[in-house]
Amino acid sequence: MALPPILVLGTFIGFPIGLAFLFSIGFTGGLNEVLSIIGQDVRGRDGKLFTLQAYKDVIADPRFAGDVKTTLIVSFVATVFVLLFSTGIGLLQRLRGGKLSSVLTALSLTPLFIPVVISSWALYTFYGSAGLYRTIFHSFGIDVPQITSTMLAVIIGSIWVSLPFATLMITSGLQSVPNALIEAAQDAGASLITIIRTVMLPLALIPIIIALTFTSIGILGSFTVPFFLGANQPTMFGVEITNFFSVYNRPQQSIVMAFIVFAAASGIAFFYIWANFRNAKESGRV
Amino acid sequence: MRKNKLVSILAVAGLAVATLGFTASTSHAAVFQVRLYVSGDTNVERMWLTELIPAFEKANPNYNVDVSSFDLHGKNDALTLAKIIAASKLKRDAGFDVIEAGFVQELGLKGYLTIPTSSRMPNINNVPASLLAMSKGGIPYRASTVLLAYNSQVVTTPPKTLDDLIAWIKANPGRFTYNVPSGGGSGYSFAQTVVDKYLTDAEIEKLVTEVNKPLQAKWKQGFDLLKSLNPYTYGKNGTYPSNNAATLSLVSNGSVDMATVWSDQFLSGLKAGTIPSYWKVAQVSDRSLTGGPAILGIPKGTRQGVAAQRFVNWLLSPVAQNIIVGGTLNGYPVVPVSMLSTANQGKFAVGTDVSKLRSSYLSSNNTDFKNQWALEVPGK
Repeated sequence: MALPPILVLGTFIGFPIGLAFLFSIGFTGGLNEVLSIIGQDVRGRDGKLFTLQAYKDVIADPRFAGDVKTTLIVSFVATVFVLLFSTGIGLLQRLRGGKLSSVLTALSLTPLFIPVVISSWALYTFYGSAGLYRTIFHSFGIDVPQITSTMLAVIIGSIWVSLPFATLMITSGLQSVPNALIEAAQDAGASLITIIRTVMLPLALIPIIIALTFTSIGILGSFTVPFFLGANQPTMFGVEITNFFSVYNRPQQSIVMAFIVFAAASGIAFFYIWANFRNAKESGRV
Repeated sequence: MRKNKLVSILAVAGLAVATLGFTASTSHAAVFQVRLYVSGDTNVERMWLTELIPAFEKANPNYNVDVSSFDLHGKNDALTLAKIIAASKLKRDAGFDVIEAGFVQELGLKGYLTIPTSSRMPNINNVPASLLAMSKGGIPYRASTVLLAYNSQVVTTPPKTLDDLIAWIKANPGRFTYNVPSGGGSGYSFAQTVVDKYLTDAEIEKLVTEVNKPLQAKWKQGFDLLKSLNPYTYGKNGTYPSNNAATLSLVSNGSVDMATVWSDQFLSGLKAGTIPSYWKVAQVSDRSLTGGPAILGIPKGTRQGVAAQRFVNWLLSPVAQNIIVGGTLNGYPVVPVSMLSTANQGKFAVGTDVSKLRSSYLSSNNTDFKNQWALEVPGK
């Protein structure tokens, strides 16, 4: 019964990935022939079993180290802030409720309804050299530095884009913590911090981990936000892969980078699988 | 083949109906479909969709031009090139009859284009032979050049030479910008012009006409100069606007006093009022900023080759060239200026010769150049 989905996945996802992987290790013939005719600096295996020359080229490229650093810093910092914000909003809503938490939740969900291109452009004009942010400071005689074209702008943009999903996930996770448990802890004299630390967060751990993995993988592979808001160089991998593939016409090197990002994302996905597995175990399915 | 037969039967039928004197509506007779692929900026898209194509279809009622593929900023050029070559290898239809893109010369060099002849396209006789030779089997149909735009309220005498310009940039930190070469031709032109400063005419000619890796080593000196400008360009930190439009927006909001811009985009902006009227343009000398023709190509073995050639021939007619010059694009013609209407002739200085524009490198050198720039210049 599982055959049709496997067939579809194999044909449309597995096969192209396999083909791209073969291309990255020097199989330039067959279905990769046209790409290797057009692409520049394509490394063939020249009769050998395979070659890692394209990987060596990419790693030896002076841009690589800067790109890795930028991608990791942006992904890490933005994910931490997204988790802090969404957990904060979730706790506020669960423990206090009221108008403030409703307003915060509504605001944090707004980016869900605004296309990323539009919001990136809006952030670009807002933080840009002649944007409102600098104009306000300027009217008080303060000359603040421009934020666009820096890593900071990319982090701000990534937080904006990733916040809604994490908030939805974590808020619903915290909502499902039974009142009885919180009240029991209160009756036993536990402080608010203790209740959050020992009762609420552990019970919402799985949704938090799912939010963490999706947020960090999403930011790791993002293109629009760093393209609009980031510096030309170093940049994040999403932008660099696109540059290599189209404007520099180096498809093989862009595929190599894609596999490197894929490997990093797989590392993060491990947590997701672990969380799901634990979830299944708790509900007795495994 | 069957489809062609059907088309010709339909055409004959249409002709018969017309000769019988029936008042058949012309829109029903649109039987020759030319599929156009355009890779360019929005101003180019607007010119095709709202000016050239309607005028052509009006003059040739039984033709229909379909712009099914418009590739903004040419982001998918590499993929399209792959598609055309693959289709040609498999002897299949590539899906385009006429292509406007930066890679047309490359296609021509590799032998994938229908060679233009004056028997099918008599109007190419009006196009300077040097432009045709440079197009490698493509057909130039308009030109534009990159110019130095400056705020005349701040800059009273614009730099005359490239060296003057570089001196000005250093004397006025943060007031000049050019966009990332890979993002648009106006920034590319400045970067190539600076690099060309250290190359001989013969070396530049080679990079324009042939794939030449060893010669690319000579770019180093120019890239070093560009890198040394990082603290002096807009932002003062080695970051550059991402494309032509981003440069123009810095021009319009007064963030810079000088920038390199496309002549056509600048004039359209002035006309539309998005660029303040006190902005002016000038050309520099001793390596002038590059420009050149936009080139069309007709792939070999396309289904509508004859119709495509007729369309291209029309684009080279004075009617179409007047639209290119006088319309929203404000382009340069590829036919002698004297063939244009008097109003349009007035737009050009006496002696303007499009065949004298300094061209950019051949596309694979050009790609390597963009890659090298990203490696050597920004963020350093």
